[in-house]
Amino acid sequence: MRRSAKTAGLLPLTIMCLFWLTAPGPAAAEDRLDHLEQEIEELKKENSEIKKRVNDAETEGEETRHSLGLLSKLVDVSGYADAEFVFTGQEDENNKFRIRHLSLFFTKDIQKEWKLFTEVEFEDAPRIESNPANDTVSKSQGTLFVEQMYIEYHPTTSWDLRVGRFLTPAGIWPIYHYPPYVPTQTSPLFYKVIFPEVSDGLLLRNSFTVLDSALDTHLFAANGSGNPGKTDRNQNKGAGARVNLGILNGLSMGASFYGEKDNQDIRRSSYGAHLLYSLAGLRLQTEFAFRHNNASGGFNDRGLYAQLSYDLNSWEIAGRADWYDRNDKVSKDAHYRYTGALNYHFAHNVVGKAEYNRNEFDDPFIKDYNEVIMAIVVAIGDL
Amino acid sequence: MRAKKALCFLLFIFAFNLIPDARAAEPVAVIVNRGNTAGGMDPGEIRKMYTNNTLKWPDGNPVILYDLLIENRLREVFSSKILGKDPERVAEEWAHLKITNQAKNPPVTVKSEALIIKRVAAERGAIGYVSLSAVRNNPQVRVVFTIE
Repeated sequence: MRRSAKTAGLLPLTIMCLFWLTAPGPAAAEDRLDHLEQEIEELKKENSEIKKRVNDAETEGEETRHSLGLLSKLVDVSGYADAEFVFTGQEDENNKFRIRHLSLFFTKDIQKEWKLFTEVEFEDAPRIESNPANDTVSKSQGTLFVEQMYIEYHPTTSWDLRVGRFLTPAGIWPIYHYPPYVPTQTSPLFYKVIFPEVSDGLLLRNSFTVLDSALDTHLFAANGSGNPGKTDRNQNKGAGARVNLGILNGLSMGASFYGEKDNQDIRRSSYGAHLLYSLAGLRLQTEFAFRHNNASGGFNDRGLYAQLSYDLNSWEIAGRADWYDRNDKVSKDAHYRYTGALNYHFAHNVVGKAEYNRNEFDDPFIKDYNEVIMAIVVAIGDL
Repeated sequence: MRAKKALCFLLFIFAFNLIPDARAAEPVAVIVNRGNTAGGMDPGEIRKMYTNNTLKWPDGNPVILYDLLIENRLREVFSSKILGKDPERVAEEWAHLKITNQAKNPPVTVKSEALIIKRVAAERGAIGYVSLSAVRNNPQVRVVFTIE
């Protein structure tokens, strides 16, 4: 009896619930829902119109900024900086922190076809103090160096002419060596030796299309190595050329030449060959260079490196084998360096580097040594 | 019925939220100026322009390249499908070329697709990429390649 009473009580309630859930709602409620749906539709329309207006306004603003930027661009400042700690096993050297580079690039589009480009490098945190009594230098440390300063004329994108000081166009590393964009802090051993680091003179760059491939050429005349600024210590001039051919997608190769009669009246002729291959994250870069020195019966100095690197998201791993022989007529004169590096890109312009170098010498009087470099490198400016 | 309506409403909201994802799969159109005489292009030709291996159009006009911001989804699609690299890596390579002043014809990076369309419509040698739907009926630009 109690059970049937309970059932009798629950049944109407269940039926009411089912009726409420399945039966059409009251007309008023349905109207409200339709009204709400209509409002949502109107809001959506309004929203898309507002979005369109905001987008148009942004585009207008960007267009104005773009035009103004082209017309009234001030000097563009960019550059890079790096600091490192070096653990070294080299004799007579200490482990040390090194404030290695602060390089600032100033670019100014003077006119549509004229540009001024300057790179000022502060290496090892330079400090120069004068003696107040006679204006002589009482203290100096580090290096302050105008690495590049030229005026460029570029009537088209196919060619330009540069007058001033420029990086000697030879191979790959002498041009593309800036720390934020190379995996190692150390450079190949022949860099700055076989070809001069910078040249003061005139440089013509011309780009062609040959058989559907890009051919870049550089042709230059300069004071010669060891003759900076106005200090040309001889009547001779140096001259050189570089060609680079993009053969296939990701594969390019080329050759370089530089010849001069230096301040000791010795004719030196430098030759180089380079190859770069990149496929997905893998990159192979190799260069060979040698210089014939017409002195002491004639001798060659020569160098070679091969560098393989692989990018995986924010990580980059690289290895390089490097060799430099300062005189092919002298035995046991070569220096070998084996480098392994791991880079982590905190952002596209912030890189942390860990690098190991093993240095070996043929000369038994020079002790082989290991070196570990931990560095943080940043690129500066709107690149 | 109310439950059905509520369910429909929820489905509508869900579908509405899915719209950006639907857009994410939208094709990317590579566009040039309407007056550009070049025909359709293949990915190799576009890559050559965006890597500065080609600096001029066949009619001699200089190529003007447009790019979107590094975080833009369309740039990600364009970089990976045409250039075969992440946009970050491409940006680093341009930065290296710019910092050494070796970039022959670097792309102009702009924030909006609308500006790319506007500039490509105005400049005869310009090339850029935008969503296909943004230029489907635009008579001022021409689609030369579509990245699905």
